[in-house]
Amino acid sequence: MKIDRAVITAAGRGQRGIPLQTLVDRDGVTRSALAIILREIQDAGIKKIAVVVRPGDEDAYAEAAGRESEGLTFLPQENPRGYGHALHCARGFSDGAPFLHLVSDHLYLSDETEGCARQLVEIARAESCAVSAVQATRETTLSLYGAVGGVRVPGRERLYQVETVREKPTPTLAEQELVVPGLRAAHYLCFFGMHVLTPAVMDELERLLNAGDRREPVSLSPALHALAAREKYLAFEIKGNRQNIGIPYGLFHAQLALALRGVDREEVLAEMVSQLAAREGLRA
Amino acid sequence: MSVDRVLDLIRSEDEARDQALDHCLTGLAAAELWEICEALDAFQRGDVNLYERVRALFFLHAIHRYHLPESRGLSPEGRIPYEGVRLLHKRRFEEAIDVLMEATRRQGPSDPLCSALAAATHHLAIQTLANQVRRSVRSVRGNQWMFRLGHPADQTLRIRPELTRPDPRGLYPVLREQTPVRMDLTHSGWSDIFFLGMDFPQGARVINVSIDLAVHGSGARPRPPVEAYLRVIDEPVLRLASVDLGVKADLTRLAEVYDFARDYLGLLKAAIIAAGVIPPGMEGSGHRLADLLEQIAGPGRGLELVSSVNGIPKGSRLAVSTNLLAALIAVCMRATGQTASTTGPLTESERRIVASRAILGEWLGGSGGGWQDSGGVWPGIKLIEGCEAAPGDPEHGVSRGRLLPRHRILDETEVPAETRRKLAESLILVHGGMAQNVGPILEMVTEKYLLRAQPEWEERQEALTYLEEVLQALKEGDIRRLGDITTRNFTGPLQKMIPWATNHYTETLIRLARERFGERFWGFWMLGGMSGGGMGFMVDPSVRGEAQSFLLETMLRVKRQYQHALPFAMDPVVYDFAINEHGTRAECLLGREALLPVPYYGQVLPEWVRTDPRLHTPARRGELALLAEVSHADPAFASLAPQLFTQLLPGDREGTESRERSMKTLLEEIGFDPLQQEEVRSRLLSGKLGLARNRLPETTRIEDVPPDAVIESATLGAREETLGLEALRKGEVAVITLAAGTGSRWTQGAGVVKGLHPFCRLAGRHRSFLEVHLAKTRKVAAAVGSPPPHVFTTSYLTHEPIRETLASTHNYGYEGPVLLSKGQAVGIRMIPMLRDLSFAWEEMPGQLLDAQAQKMKESGQAALREWARQTGEGNDYTDNLPMQCLHPVGHWFEVPGLLRNGVLADLLEHRPQLQWLMLHNIDTTGANLDPRLLGHHIHSGKTLSFEVISRRIQDSGGGLALVDGHLQLLEGLAAPREELDTELRFYNTMTTWIHLDGLLAVFGLKRNELRETAKVAAAIRALGHRLPTYITLKDVKKRWGHGQEDVFPVSQYEKLWSDMTTLPELPCGFVRVPRMRGQQLKEPAQLDGWVRDGSAAAVEALCDFAT
Repeated sequence: MKIDRAVITAAGRGQRGIPLQTLVDRDGVTRSALAIILREIQDAGIKKIAVVVRPGDEDAYAEAAGRESEGLTFLPQENPRGYGHALHCARGFSDGAPFLHLVSDHLYLSDETEGCARQLVEIARAESCAVSAVQATRETTLSLYGAVGGVRVPGRERLYQVETVREKPTPTLAEQELVVPGLRAAHYLCFFGMHVLTPAVMDELERLLNAGDRREPVSLSPALHALAAREKYLAFEIKGNRQNIGIPYGLFHAQLALALRGVDREEVLAEMVSQLAAREGLRA
Repeated sequence: MSVDRVLDLIRSEDEARDQALDHCLTGLAAAELWEICEALDAFQRGDVNLYERVRALFFLHAIHRYHLPESRGLSPEGRIPYEGVRLLHKRRFEEAIDVLMEATRRQGPSDPLCSALAAATHHLAIQTLANQVRRSVRSVRGNQWMFRLGHPADQTLRIRPELTRPDPRGLYPVLREQTPVRMDLTHSGWSDIFFLGMDFPQGARVINVSIDLAVHGSGARPRPPVEAYLRVIDEPVLRLASVDLGVKADLTRLAEVYDFARDYLGLLKAAIIAAGVIPPGMEGSGHRLADLLEQIAGPGRGLELVSSVNGIPKGSRLAVSTNLLAALIAVCMRATGQTASTTGPLTESERRIVASRAILGEWLGGSGGGWQDSGGVWPGIKLIEGCEAAPGDPEHGVSRGRLLPRHRILDETEVPAETRRKLAESLILVHGGMAQNVGPILEMVTEKYLLRAQPEWEERQEALTYLEEVLQALKEGDIRRLGDITTRNFTGPLQKMIPWATNHYTETLIRLARERFGERFWGFWMLGGMSGGGMGFMVDPSVRGEAQSFLLETMLRVKRQYQHALPFAMDPVVYDFAINEHGTRAECLLGREALLPVPYYGQVLPEWVRTDPRLHTPARRGELALLAEVSHADPAFASLAPQLFTQLLPGDREGTESRERSMKTLLEEIGFDPLQQEEVRSRLLSGKLGLARNRLPETTRIEDVPPDAVIESATLGAREETLGLEALRKGEVAVITLAAGTGSRWTQGAGVVKGLHPFCRLAGRHRSFLEVHLAKTRKVAAAVGSPPPHVFTTSYLTHEPIRETLASTHNYGYEGPVLLSKGQAVGIRMIPMLRDLSFAWEEMPGQLLDAQAQKMKESGQAALREWARQTGEGNDYTDNLPMQCLHPVGHWFEVPGLLRNGVLADLLEHRPQLQWLMLHNIDTTGANLDPRLLGHHIHSGKTLSFEVISRRIQDSGGGLALVDGHLQLLEGLAAPREELDTELRFYNTMTTWIHLDGLLAVFGLKRNELRETAKVAAAIRALGHRLPTYITLKDVKKRWGHGQEDVFPVSQYEKLWSDMTTLPELPCGFVRVPRMRGQQLKEPAQLDGWVRDGSAAAVEALCDFAT
């Protein structure tokens, strides 16, 4: 399966400014969050990238993308109807081909030499199907994520056959529908904000957008739940972690994580120790 | 070989497991039975599953309770080690069994030890079952996380955003859940008990119908009887209110949520917990409730949960409380996003989780409903069936079946619309007015199922076939046949399995309905666990209206007739009902609709009005404004204003005065002796009486009696019999039955006259204690050709009902003289002495609670000490209903009562030859004028001969003892050490043979002085002085407001008949009688064992009933 394009959604309410924030990356270079995400995608060997934005945000995003803006397409989301709708705006761009999808409020830190997106794209190519990156997550933060239920693919490490997808489930629902054998107790496979999707997802999104009340927001999870019933759909536990920069202190935690894995590690650690010492000293 | 056969009953997977235990044990001697007990005990301790363990424990119970006591070679005497009793009291059953088994190995099997082992194994079996259900409920998927969550920050549930947005008035939307209740067409022999469903899933089948109700004649249309309301409030508290109970509380501490016993809001608390809003895992975490509420509802906010039950009282057998719990859980789950939709019906998986949480809530709150009880959550008519546990289920490998059954809604092809209409036209649902505890019945069913007792097991198979017949009748729309099946089920399998499913009241109603409507009476239908409360009568639709009126009138009339005999909780009602085809449903009330039920405001408005308006929150102000607005338009709300005025100006002063007036009148009527009361008070105040003074000094030497102290009744023979028969023939004997008490343990405080309770079917009919006693005397009268007088001693509580009953039944056909001796002894309860409170709370053994509860208990006790100090120690307790302020003063006074009220003098006038009396308790059903025992008493020359029995573990409180060398009956209150109970082998039955002149001599009286009132009174007082007066503390409830109640400890005194044995000049003898003669029936739960061990048949054989 050929995967040569990617879609980033960045049009969500309260989300528009997040990718424009700047951080110092692992190499000690100051970049916008958007640029870091674009680099993640490009490292996976994908050059054609579309960003779904609120109309009018294109220039600010182009500037934030900086040197990574080459090959970038902006897709304005008119009359927004939620996350699923935003992704559906890229239907023309995806042009009936599989594509990589990332959200714009997450940064990824891989535990491997390969980036998280690359790990995902490779597995999707090998399996020739849609694959969502997931991470085992404690039930106490279930309300922040979409989550999948399913079973391990026999003989394969970190790979799961998806049977159910639920958006921000309560623990009650999660226990009934999303328990995955083999995980630690009270842990569920939650989305990592990164998927390789097939054209069937666009069909499902279209169906949802045209069903029922045509003003209601449409989320991605119901489309993925339908996808699981329709074709082979896997979840892959990425070796790495995600940093949600859209929540309070999210940006700070992401910066800290980047710094502690990057070239400025010693300097940052020294500064933290000195801050702590100064605080304790004052108290004494 | 027998050992293997018994173990095979448990282990085998084929039909061998369905054989009766009794068959394997027939004819075995004590030693052989004990060998089986050893093997069963070892087996249940091994690596066995739940079913095997519970069945082995019930087998052990049955062998110790029924088989060993009847077996050859069992010693009647044995000593129960105190340690075993202590462990049993502390509910450490396994250790208790260890101690008791060891004692049996040392002493050999004996009747007392068997009784203790029977109790211990029964408790352990029931506890094991309860624990397993609890464990299974916790392991249901969807419930597990709630037990892991221990910190507010980890709570992921959030109130749905639409419920957190106030309208312009400041009012938050109200989410309302409306839930029908359920009735069952056939429970297939109580197969809805959790354990039965889990062990015998293929036999666990019920047909369950969701219904709406209205009280017939009220003009209202049937509607879902159960409602739950939830809304966000702008205060960081958890506000709980029960509209039907009239109780409301603001909870501010987490610990209060888990304190179920604190008030009447236990059900609401259980719902909040079981719904995961305040999860069970948070108990004892020490976190702040406000933090958790902030996490769920937002900063500064809280939640209000309100329950409302429309006009269905307790005991309706319609599973009201389970369905209310389910409604409360459902509304909490909807509000916190645990259901797909906020409003409308629930999905099947949501209904299942609500049902499992309702079970969880019931176990949290300490109750336990049936497995079909949350049926109201589902729509229409459904078949509910047990399911076999499969790999992957938490129950797999533990029990054969799953905890939760499968619900299959029966559609129109299975129950056509026509049938539903016909059912509604034919069925009359009623509440008969009785509210009884169904718990003992459920335990009996479980036990009989596990023992596969024949014929109960055959009846269970039979009951299962009825379900298919019901399904067929429903399909064909044949309601007449349906009535026939439910009637056959009730009179057949149900009563054969559990005779206590019916009662005299129900039988009377069925008989009268049948007499009135003949062929047009189609059948009776028992709803739920037992009859007397919720019941169904099926009639030809052409007479339905007439039958409704007839049933209401008849129930009221029969209730009035039996109101002193049977535990009625309310006046009977007839319901209008409709099948609810939706199940539980919710809607969101917005804007002008966003109000709680009208009675809620009746409850809270007085408090709101008294509050400084500036202190109201914006939401409260908005609510008051809206109330003002709607009360102009809506007559229901308009009724709040006059109600408010009444509540703001309570007529409390008037109430107190009328209370004092009625108390005075009552005391005058009873013939209260103020001198006696004053004397007790002065001795109490001076410290001569008190809890500590009840006990004999520690230094008293108390020993068990030597073998020759007690005569064996079995050794009495022809000589005694001849003597006894002669006295009977000459008319020298009378019976005195003590019938002054209401038997508070018998009906759990329902206040009926125990003697009049038709407690058991004997010789084909339900008979009361009174009837049984007279029938025994009748039989003796017929045998000797001279009817002895039979005296019933009564009290202010029992006199009139007994008099009326004896008059209307012509003394139950007894031809001899029947007299009533109205007792005049009554005391006024007193404010307790501080030293007695300290003694009770600090020096008497009590169970230590967990740290928080202990703290709360101690703070409550400090408040009560202050109350006693301020109200005045030793003063009369009068601040309550008159009946709550009076107390009976002990059975000693019932004998002097005969002297004082002239009954004995009258008797002697008509029967001067009278020499001997047999005195016994109302509940000693086996006591009769046995000529051998009478002859023995005559021959012995003693003034009093007491009948004693070998002690079993349930016989607590005193016994026959050598007290400093003097042979006497020691009362439990006087025992200086608790262990004495197990050291004394003989227990007092209270049955006493009396030599009349000897007794009069003790009082210092002669026959011809009995008419000298003053002399008699002085004699009684003088003897009374010589007997100990016991002070006891009793908790009395004081109800106020809307169902609020406080409990106060009050002092009361009593004198006991058995203390006559302490008088040195009074010659007393003691005879050991068989248990069947001497045992007393104190609780209805004893009845089944009493029938099974042959006691009932033995009593029946002593009786000659007139009809």
